[in-house]
Amino acid sequence: MKVKFKAMMQISVVALLAAACSADPDSPGLEYMPDMYRSPAVEPYVDYGEVRGKIHDDMKMTMSALTPPKHTIPYWGTDSATVSMMLPYHRLPAAAFALTHGMFGFDFSTNPDGNYEYNLAAADMNPIKLTSAEQSDAVFAEGKALYQANCNHCHGEKGDGQGPMVTAGSYVGVPVYKNLTIAEGQMFYSIYYGKGMMGSHASMLNKKEIWTLVHYVRRFQDANYGKFDPKTGLPVVAAPPVVPPAEGESAMPPAANAPK
Amino acid sequence: MFRSIKQWCIGALTAVVVLGAFDVSAQPNGEALFKAKCNTCHQPHADGTGPKLFGVRQKWADGGAKEGSIYTWVANWKAAAAADPYAASIVGVKPGEMQMFPDLAGKVDEINAIFEYIDAQPDPAEAAAGTDGAMAEGAATEEEEGGLGWIWIIIGLMFVVIIMAVGGVRRQLNSAGKDAADEKSYMEEFKSWAWKNRKYVGLGGLVVVISLFVMLFLAGYSIGVVENYQPSQPIAFPHDIHTGTNGIDCKYCHNSVTKSKSAGLPTVNVCMNCHKQIKGRTPAQAEKITAIYKAAGWNGDAYTGKTSPIIWNKVHVLPDHVYFNHSQHVVVGGLDCKQCHGDMTKQNETARVVPVQDLNKIEGNIPLTKATLTMGWCIECHGEKEISEGALDTKGSGYYNEIHKRLLNNDKKLYGKYLEDGKVTVKELGGWECAKCHY
Repeated sequence: MKVKFKAMMQISVVALLAAACSADPDSPGLEYMPDMYRSPAVEPYVDYGEVRGKIHDDMKMTMSALTPPKHTIPYWGTDSATVSMMLPYHRLPAAAFALTHGMFGFDFSTNPDGNYEYNLAAADMNPIKLTSAEQSDAVFAEGKALYQANCNHCHGEKGDGQGPMVTAGSYVGVPVYKNLTIAEGQMFYSIYYGKGMMGSHASMLNKKEIWTLVHYVRRFQDANYGKFDPKTGLPVVAAPPVVPPAEGESAMPPAANAPK
Repeated sequence: MFRSIKQWCIGALTAVVVLGAFDVSAQPNGEALFKAKCNTCHQPHADGTGPKLFGVRQKWADGGAKEGSIYTWVANWKAAAAADPYAASIVGVKPGEMQMFPDLAGKVDEINAIFEYIDAQPDPAEAAAGTDGAMAEGAATEEEEGGLGWIWIIIGLMFVVIIMAVGGVRRQLNSAGKDAADEKSYMEEFKSWAWKNRKYVGLGGLVVVISLFVMLFLAGYSIGVVENYQPSQPIAFPHDIHTGTNGIDCKYCHNSVTKSKSAGLPTVNVCMNCHKQIKGRTPAQAEKITAIYKAAGWNGDAYTGKTSPIIWNKVHVLPDHVYFNHSQHVVVGGLDCKQCHGDMTKQNETARVVPVQDLNKIEGNIPLTKATLTMGWCIECHGEKEISEGALDTKGSGYYNEIHKRLLNNDKKLYGKYLEDGKVTVKELGGWECAKCHY
């Protein structure tokens, strides 16, 4: 009996040591109250395949991080200018965008010309109007933060296509904004649906943010864009500096790393 | 004689310089043209928006294209496709349409210069193949080093077995010389020994019991502490390459951080914004990136629409009974990601919960003592952290400006005591209220 007890003790000590060595690295460890740690209500990035110890196979990897249903209109308050700006984008992607940019679940343009909607987009004007120096500064400050987070790594701090990704040799073929000859509506279209190698940013930026970025990008093309004369209080650049190209004309800007 | 040689030399030099200058001006610069006009869509050795262009003239000639139709194609592909059946056959190789270059129409020299530049580019895949062997060797030595830990465990276990065996033999030898009735069990031997030395045994026992309690207490503290938690991930994602070398902002991939309580894991379309072009420089990288292609349903040329999710393991797990909001901390509080998540530009392994000691080294952080992601850690910071520049001067997010104005106007006496030290901490704004986070 005593020998048995001793043997059991020895075995259990060894077993404990072994268990300590081979703990599951994917387990976050012990919890005090698992029923308070795991939410039965839907939370992002939680797999509801297992809730409170019960396994639901049909719920595995289905309930979190879903895209909203098609044609959902987000609520943006009661200000009509904001609401109309935030309505779903009315330009459609070309049918080829499903293959080239993975835009599944979108309505597609039925026009056989792949650039039909893109050319139409040249007529779209930026709904964020620059009215005064202070308001303009606020828009550009917001644009700078957005640009730093979303564009800078390829397009570069000066908009010359020399972002850290390009200078590190990871990525090639980023255009210089200065050489862009596209209208602001087409800039919006390109950011929203992507263009060439650039992917769609519709899932990452809302329409207000994209229009803010369009303002910011246009200052790379014209350093006086969005600036106001302190004496007269009038915009320095009166006419839009960028003229939309005629249909069929080259709209693709030259790449960044072109020697000058 | 000498003079004439000198003159001859000068003449020759001048001729070289002049000819050289003439050459530069007459020869179209293929590199400049390629990068300015083609490189946004085409690469020499990799398919992009357009197909790869290495040896494309030979390919057209082999394919039976009409003489010169490739030059027409570059300027106006529609005209070339109408005139040449081979050109017509390659329409639709890529889903997108190539754009027109009317400025290159008829400029055979310039187009040839572009093709010559392309054909002179070395294949990066071949260059990478040379380094593969070295990499494989490196991996092998790493594996051997990893195996050493097991050897030590085995040696330790062997020692334990030997000690036990020796002890057993000694006991057998001891009992062999004595009568069975005389035999004392271990327990009885121990009891009589303990009674003889009861002072020390009592004291020792007390120490053992107290230390056991302390250990139990400490073990209790370690429950729910997830410092250094680093679960395995389906793709060994190197943060250092993405945010360090390539300078991508954290907020590009974790883009809901400014809008939502969750920072967000990037959906695969965000990965594909770059990885459509970046296929990896080494086979190991290429294999990881293939996992993205599989998830995105990208077959190398086009999206197939057959997607499959990447199932990541969550690293920073907060219990459901705590409310935490990323946007509140990043937008209103003005915190930088690294203040709580560590410097990811140096994290070459998968993400982990960075211990508080490492976080304290980060510039601008308030030194904290409690473990990362525990409540002590939260309230320690809330107790000392001043609200983002905002409130007292008008810079910063301005989120609290209005309430400060009202408080100062209404009841200076009550509010004055919070302003005595000239700063407003998160705690003073209710950052220690239970219901701020637990509701």
